[in-house]
Amino acid sequence: MTRGLTRQQAGVSEALVENFGELIFQFSHNHQVRRGDPVRLKDFSAVEEQRPALGLSDTEIAGRLGLSKDQVTAIRNIVERRKLRINTHLRLNDLGGGRRFRDERFTPHEERPAYTEDAMTLKETMTFDAEQVQRFIEQGWWDGTTLRSLLERNAAERPEGPAIIDAGGSFTYAELAAKVRRLAAGLHGLGIRPGDVVGVQLPNIADYLVAYFAITWHGGVMTTVYLPYREKETETLLGHSHARAFICPADINGYDAAATALALSKRLPALEHVIVRGDTVPGGVSFAELASSSPLESEASAPVGSDPFLLLYTSGTTANPKGVPQSYQTMLGNARLGAPEHGLTANDCLLSAAPFGHLFALYSVHLALSVGGSVALLPVFTPPDLMQAVETLKPTALFAAPAHIAACLGAGLFDRHDASSLKLAILSGSAVPPDLAQGFAQKLPSAKITQLWGMTETQAGLYTRPEDPIELAACSAGRPSPGTEARIADADGAELPQGNEGELQVRGSLMFPGYFKNEDANRNAFTADGWFRTGDLATVDADGNVAITGRTKDIINRGGVKYNPRDVEELLDRHPKVGQSAIVPVPDEVLGERACAFVTLAGADEVTLPELCEYLLGNKIAKLKLPERLEIVGEMPLTATRKIIKGRLQPKSAD
Amino acid sequence: MPKHDLEEVNPEAAKEAILGYCLKKGALAAGVADLEAVERIAPPGHRPSDLMPRVKSVISLGVGGQTQGAWTIPAKALAYFGSTEVRAYTVAYGLAFMIEGRFGARSVYCPPDLDNEEGPRVPLQSLKLHAELAGIGARSLAGDILLHPEFGYLYFASVFTELELPPDEPLAENPCPAPSCVDMYKKIGQTPCMKFCPVQCLSGEIDADGKQVEMHYEMSKCAEVSEQYEALPRILGDAMAAQTSGQRDEILNDLDHSMFWYKMSVGSGGLLGQCFECMRVCPIATRAPLADPLVRGAAKRAEQGAP
Repeated sequence: MTRGLTRQQAGVSEALVENFGELIFQFSHNHQVRRGDPVRLKDFSAVEEQRPALGLSDTEIAGRLGLSKDQVTAIRNIVERRKLRINTHLRLNDLGGGRRFRDERFTPHEERPAYTEDAMTLKETMTFDAEQVQRFIEQGWWDGTTLRSLLERNAAERPEGPAIIDAGGSFTYAELAAKVRRLAAGLHGLGIRPGDVVGVQLPNIADYLVAYFAITWHGGVMTTVYLPYREKETETLLGHSHARAFICPADINGYDAAATALALSKRLPALEHVIVRGDTVPGGVSFAELASSSPLESEASAPVGSDPFLLLYTSGTTANPKGVPQSYQTMLGNARLGAPEHGLTANDCLLSAAPFGHLFALYSVHLALSVGGSVALLPVFTPPDLMQAVETLKPTALFAAPAHIAACLGAGLFDRHDASSLKLAILSGSAVPPDLAQGFAQKLPSAKITQLWGMTETQAGLYTRPEDPIELAACSAGRPSPGTEARIADADGAELPQGNEGELQVRGSLMFPGYFKNEDANRNAFTADGWFRTGDLATVDADGNVAITGRTKDIINRGGVKYNPRDVEELLDRHPKVGQSAIVPVPDEVLGERACAFVTLAGADEVTLPELCEYLLGNKIAKLKLPERLEIVGEMPLTATRKIIKGRLQPKSAD
Repeated sequence: MPKHDLEEVNPEAAKEAILGYCLKKGALAAGVADLEAVERIAPPGHRPSDLMPRVKSVISLGVGGQTQGAWTIPAKALAYFGSTEVRAYTVAYGLAFMIEGRFGARSVYCPPDLDNEEGPRVPLQSLKLHAELAGIGARSLAGDILLHPEFGYLYFASVFTELELPPDEPLAENPCPAPSCVDMYKKIGQTPCMKFCPVQCLSGEIDADGKQVEMHYEMSKCAEVSEQYEALPRILGDAMAAQTSGQRDEILNDLDHSMFWYKMSVGSGGLLGQCFECMRVCPIATRAPLADPLVRGAAKRAEQGAP
């Protein structure tokens, strides 16, 4: 339409637009060419000659092309409108005041990538109660901190401060930031974009942390694959998370990790890149080459505090996986608020015996980053390696599971290694036997032993503080972390008075929003009023200290009589012929459930069920709690923090 | 209007008085364009006589552009600098009255606006042509923006009058390209204005003597970054074509787009008219001997004997 005329009135057909559109666009003032300086020189013949090149009026164009002026005006408007790109003026926002335009610094709107559907699905999972969010922000429990902002801050404020220390040496925060920028650029070059998930299966080496920070540098999300996992578990986790890339070694103790992942990439449509650390593998992307990429000049797509950045899996690694997405706000807030509670400062060096695939180890990294401290690395746990690392790397804080410590104590390693650098040890990952904590404290007289309770879903929910006496830390998981509320509830969700055993329920600023793509799990995970059902049994004392007493799932229901077998297990663990024990319910046609004791042997001596029952009775255990079956196994299935996975214990026979 | 016998008016004296008025009122430069040349060069419908059949003279004046401070601020703020040209129009408006009052000759402040028959890219009259022929600016490689060898980048306004005045000649030399720009061109094939244009709408050629051979200006690209009024129908069109109300809402209330609604309603009224980047890096526009208001101020203060 032009000046109120319809295209039909002007006689403008689409064919006319096609035929003359580009010509009219060029003849009009859209592209002007001037040769010499004819106007200033009053060279009228040159002016006439150049008139078409300087732009003709619609009337002049009409005369040249054999169109009416209205047709030219209409067609010019149509073509100009079709060619016009909007929002180009936003280039100006990055200019001036000493800055000059550089094309690579500006990405037009239409060329800016959108979050993928997978990334949006993950972001949709990050739904919290709006009132709670308001409270978390007001209280300062949530802020805009990200891994990248912490690393940038530390690199700026403590460029020469140690960031990572391992047996091969150490590097500073400035060096770490530089490494991360290069790998981040490499990942960006592969097409990894904000919200994309990247899986990592590496030992606790510096490259693990470099990968972690690099994945999240531009807003990516890391999912961890526990080092012992093999093809089936890896396929489940990478498939469920829709990971776009996977970082792994070429080989893990004979397991061909890279080749397996490359084969998986044929079956998993989302998995585009297998990034291999170590030997070159055909079809794989070299980690070393990616890590030597040139840093991006424009690093505009920085993540923000509310972004998801971790997708951790708790269990169900072969079916119905439970993915736990965490945002910077939930996770880094927990560490930032926790650091002063643990008495940590920039002078501290934190070592985790647990693998980085586990939340507890990542918590230690986040703590170190929060205070500007350093992380000491133990690639893979063995008792001698842990003690060697403590002696040589001299960490000030140790993050370990009870089983880690039990193994070191059992081997007498604390007597043979210098662990005097430790001023703090945090035990977590499974129930802490009081005797173990006490024994550990005796070996480390100058260190504070604390206990921490957490889950992938909740992170560090409860802990004792360094100033608490060992008597408390040995038998209690402590008090809620800042921003956390805890209660003990019965099966109906009613809060129980002090001293009563019930389910531990938690809520607060540390809490994950819900399982990723697992509505079945989500339906039962939270109470109607927003408390997370931890599945742990606990009691609380008058001072608010929570003692974990077992798992709701471990409760044995023998003909309607329910009991917690934890005390039976603790006794069995002390039996001289028993290494580890676990009591699990097995179905029974008459009673519904009976207790079956799974044990590993401490040595070569066999043990029998009557022998164990007699021992338990002698230790004042009620008859109804005696195990009625015994299974002797070579080793227990363990989590990353060496907690027994009871779900995998199945009796071999039905007798 | 007082009655005067125009034949009694001394053209030279009148011209001196008229140009003196312009300078006194704030113009940095003023001149009289050769009417015959303007009539020959301007296309039909855009000639002074099309607007004022008895026109005898075209007077052009230029006021200064940005301050030195303005050239240092971010583009997003500089782009919204408005009203500079209005100062030129104000002088021209007053001049038209002055000529009528003092010399009894009908005069008109030349409308600086667009031709409603030709659309928003075609002016009713070319103020640039008037200024160039009046000798107060020459075409630069920066999309033919006029530059003055002493005052740099100016805003222009014109007055048409039935008073016959002796015309000035165009500038004898074109100050563009400056020697430093020629050096840069020899090294990289671009002058600063070409290199730093955010949409790369400028290109051209300079000969071995440092003179302009060819200037290329892609106005459609330039318009995308500056003349935002053209984006509005596109935004509305996109909104109307949206598949869902959510998408429509996103388009209309997008932060960038909502700026337009703001400017159209309670804002200063001016959408972007120029991005200024080519002028910001132009040594003539900002660094010509008297283009710098700080230098002019210092000269004036020295003239007045101020410390």
